[in-house]
Amino acid sequence: MGTSSATTHRVVYDDDIVRAFSIVTMVWGVVGLLVGVLVATQLSFWQANFGLEWLSFGRLRPLHTNAAIFAFVGNMMFAGIYYSTQRLLKVRMASKLLGWIHFWGYQLIIVGAAVTLPLGLTQSKEYAELIWPIDVLVTVIWVVFAINFFWTLAIRNERNLYVAIWFYIATIVTIAVLYIVNNLQLPTSFLHSYPIYGGVQDALVQWWYGHNAVAFFLTTPILGIMYYYIPKAAERPVYSYRLSVVHFWSLIFLYIWAGPHHLLFSALPDWAQTLGMIFSVMLWAPSWGGMLNGLLTLRGAWDKLRDDPIIKFFVVAVTFYGMSTFEGPLLSIKSVSALGHYTDWIIGHVHGGTLGWNGFMAIGMLYWMVPRLWNTTLFSKKLAEIHFWIGTIGILLYISSMWVSGISQGLFWLALDGDGFLKYPDFIEGLISSRFMYQMRLIGGVLYFLSFLLGVYNLARTIRSGRKVNGETTVKGSLEPDSRFNWKVMFGAPVIYSALVLILSFVLGGFGMVGAAVALGGLAVVVVAAMLGVGLVRDDHTKQWHYRLEGNWWVFSILVLLAILIGGIVEIIPTIVIANKAPLEALNTETGEPNPYLQQPYSPLELEGRDIYVREGCYLCHSQMIRPFRSETLRYGDYSRLEESIYDHPFQWGSKRTGPDLARVGGRYGNMWHYLHLRDPRNTSPGSNMPTYAFMTDRKVKLDGTAHKMEVLARLGVPYEAADFAAAKQTALSQGGLISADLESQGVEVEPDSELVALISYLQRLGRGPQPVAPDAGGSAALGAR
Amino acid sequence: MSDKKQGDDGYQHDQVLSHAFDGIEEYNNRLPNWWLFTLYASIIFAFGYWLYYETFVVGPGQEAAYEQVMQKAAEAELARASAGGLNDESLLMMAGMPDKVAEGAQIFKTYCVACHLEKGQGSVGPNLTDEFWIHGPKPMNIHETVTNGVLAKGMPQWGLQLGPKRVEAVVSFVLTIKNTQVPGKPPQGERHAAEDTAPEDSEAPAGDAPGGDA
Repeated sequence: MGTSSATTHRVVYDDDIVRAFSIVTMVWGVVGLLVGVLVATQLSFWQANFGLEWLSFGRLRPLHTNAAIFAFVGNMMFAGIYYSTQRLLKVRMASKLLGWIHFWGYQLIIVGAAVTLPLGLTQSKEYAELIWPIDVLVTVIWVVFAINFFWTLAIRNERNLYVAIWFYIATIVTIAVLYIVNNLQLPTSFLHSYPIYGGVQDALVQWWYGHNAVAFFLTTPILGIMYYYIPKAAERPVYSYRLSVVHFWSLIFLYIWAGPHHLLFSALPDWAQTLGMIFSVMLWAPSWGGMLNGLLTLRGAWDKLRDDPIIKFFVVAVTFYGMSTFEGPLLSIKSVSALGHYTDWIIGHVHGGTLGWNGFMAIGMLYWMVPRLWNTTLFSKKLAEIHFWIGTIGILLYISSMWVSGISQGLFWLALDGDGFLKYPDFIEGLISSRFMYQMRLIGGVLYFLSFLLGVYNLARTIRSGRKVNGETTVKGSLEPDSRFNWKVMFGAPVIYSALVLILSFVLGGFGMVGAAVALGGLAVVVVAAMLGVGLVRDDHTKQWHYRLEGNWWVFSILVLLAILIGGIVEIIPTIVIANKAPLEALNTETGEPNPYLQQPYSPLELEGRDIYVREGCYLCHSQMIRPFRSETLRYGDYSRLEESIYDHPFQWGSKRTGPDLARVGGRYGNMWHYLHLRDPRNTSPGSNMPTYAFMTDRKVKLDGTAHKMEVLARLGVPYEAADFAAAKQTALSQGGLISADLESQGVEVEPDSELVALISYLQRLGRGPQPVAPDAGGSAALGAR
Repeated sequence: MSDKKQGDDGYQHDQVLSHAFDGIEEYNNRLPNWWLFTLYASIIFAFGYWLYYETFVVGPGQEAAYEQVMQKAAEAELARASAGGLNDESLLMMAGMPDKVAEGAQIFKTYCVACHLEKGQGSVGPNLTDEFWIHGPKPMNIHETVTNGVLAKGMPQWGLQLGPKRVEAVVSFVLTIKNTQVPGKPPQGERHAAEDTAPEDSEAPAGDAPGGDA
């Protein structure tokens, strides 16, 4: 590509920001892993909750996941992106100031998370737990990062964008969309809010986000990093440019559809579940395309595997990526999900990805990059070797113990005897039988943690032995103007064809032919893959449409945005429509009978109890979604319907059963049972590993704020009325009085407005209609009886 | 790079593209056949699955599949019910079978002690060893209470979770501790003298409870 002038100038990269992000990666890595070790200990030994509410499993588990994902992998990603982007574009980052705002803002977010989550301030949406003020900050900081990144693209000195940059673009664009859509919420106070979505809508939006946090936070940026650091470390060419093109576009297009595989056999409509499953299956090959390009790039450099620990880390990381992305589609197949969902198998699956793929990519990158940033050599290769082996053994121990305990749990829950009744009716038996595996997992996690400490020590010694240096290069002239923005590139043949297919499918979808619409939408995948694949067979890739596209970052980014929006739109909009219609249909059925499943709003006290349930992270171990299996309906009662949680903001379907499902626990046990159980679960369930919640006995619910919470929910569509707000506090006290009196008759005294009573009122309501809120009401109490 | 090869299939093998990024070169190798096969096969599978379950609804959805399973179970249940009747006499007979009672004792220990305590003397739930019964003293009354529970009072509906055999076993066990008069929770419900309900060869004393707070 020609140059408009022949002058040569020197470019010095801004590596200070890379050094800063590298150091915090190590720090937050230690923190995230340490919290992981603690929560793993708590699952084996409940005493490790220390009777302190801030350290209980339900509050620390979100801290662990947020620290591992956003603090450790997030900072690692930024270090890798800032380092490689400058070099791949031969330009310094556009703004030093924006870079530092990004850095410090991001650290502030992490500290905010580390303070708020143990305090029980949470939205209870997995990997989106942070409360709304922090969400706002995250959005602002992400936009700052995006501006700095795209501005750098605009002033680049390299005409074409290398594949790593494509993945960075996909990350930045998609995370922005996901984060904002999933975190739309209405605050009730500075520290609390309710999401605008309820029940099934919230579940779908959350897992669309949750799955794609894995896809676009833990996968795409790391693939970009892989595409830079592996060829660099191996000093070998990338295996196939053509494969990069095909697997990039198919990966980002397909990934976004896969979210509903987290909701198989739930109350989500069948068609959406099926979409989640089939797109997950189709995702297998595109994911392995990334693995192939990583591993096959090492052809001709396999000898380095013997004596270069960096290559070892990269090879194992990419292998774990391949394993996880095979396991993912496998677990998305409905019949496999029936066995694996809610069990420890999923925990093993995600740790293969985070410890193996993310963790080892991070370590490999740091071992390669830190000596270059400080102009020195790695302090100890030997230590890095030891790190590698201890870490690898740790991961293997971790995931294999989770496979065993997960699959055992699945078989245990599903097992029926010859008469068609539960073979193992006692839930806790399964938990007790997993105990040994939990201890093995703990050992695996501790080994990984220790190996990581060795790595941090090694890197710290490396840093101390060197001096900061900024990379540089020389650039001749500047880019031709036409390579900066050319909208005509938008209309390449693959784009036109897939647009036509998609338009046709949406038109058919408009006539209610959902099936046809989706089938054709899927066809678009084939068309794009085929066109790209076939088009690139010709030898001279510089004459191809995609090559021109790579020179136009605007157009490239717009196409990425379109590709990731389609799946979300097709799945989310119909679900929102269905969910909005459900209450209306309930009132207008043919028989005129109200839908018996339609949820009635919670009483004020139950609502407060529910907020406590959310605060304590109960959903992390207890689902509220009974699947339509005989083994589940025998154990937990009738399977859950879509209408039953329609007013739940946020939804509490859960994703893991360390304890039993609670969707229909209401009325199953007496108030006294709950009192004893919450004070110390081992009172009623010997062998339980649940934390104690005795502190709730003496703590009062702030009933003055309840009416306002109800008003906010009413604005979100929950059918509360003005009279309910005025009476909220009185109604709550009166309902609490009933429970309190019942407990008193059995010899214990608890205040009617204590947190314990509020939580019991919520638990007793689950799966049932409105409960008495006044002594003489006899079940016909005001709320919800209309 | 020097290692350029022209394959038999006309593709360029291991030939680097004309451009490098920060020293990173790229080959343009063709996509491996097995990889393409995986891609196409999974797409074909996805279409087939969609058509089978969603477009033409040949396969049952999750609710239909569930109904099928439940239908079969209901038929089995019906067959069992019509095969042999369960009544007071048969339950009393089971209460005389050591195996059955031992099994019931085990079940009682697992599921019932949280509310009725080890000897059945009661805490959250009533004392099962006295002569007072809230929901009826006869074996079939007890069977009914265990099977369907008393939701208003927090007695779970054990029939589904435990299945009929375990319920029979635990009822047999309860019949053996009945009228053993373990001191515990004060009496609740109506008094039924031992001779009204006990097995005929019972050694339990008739009349007033001998001790405790009963």
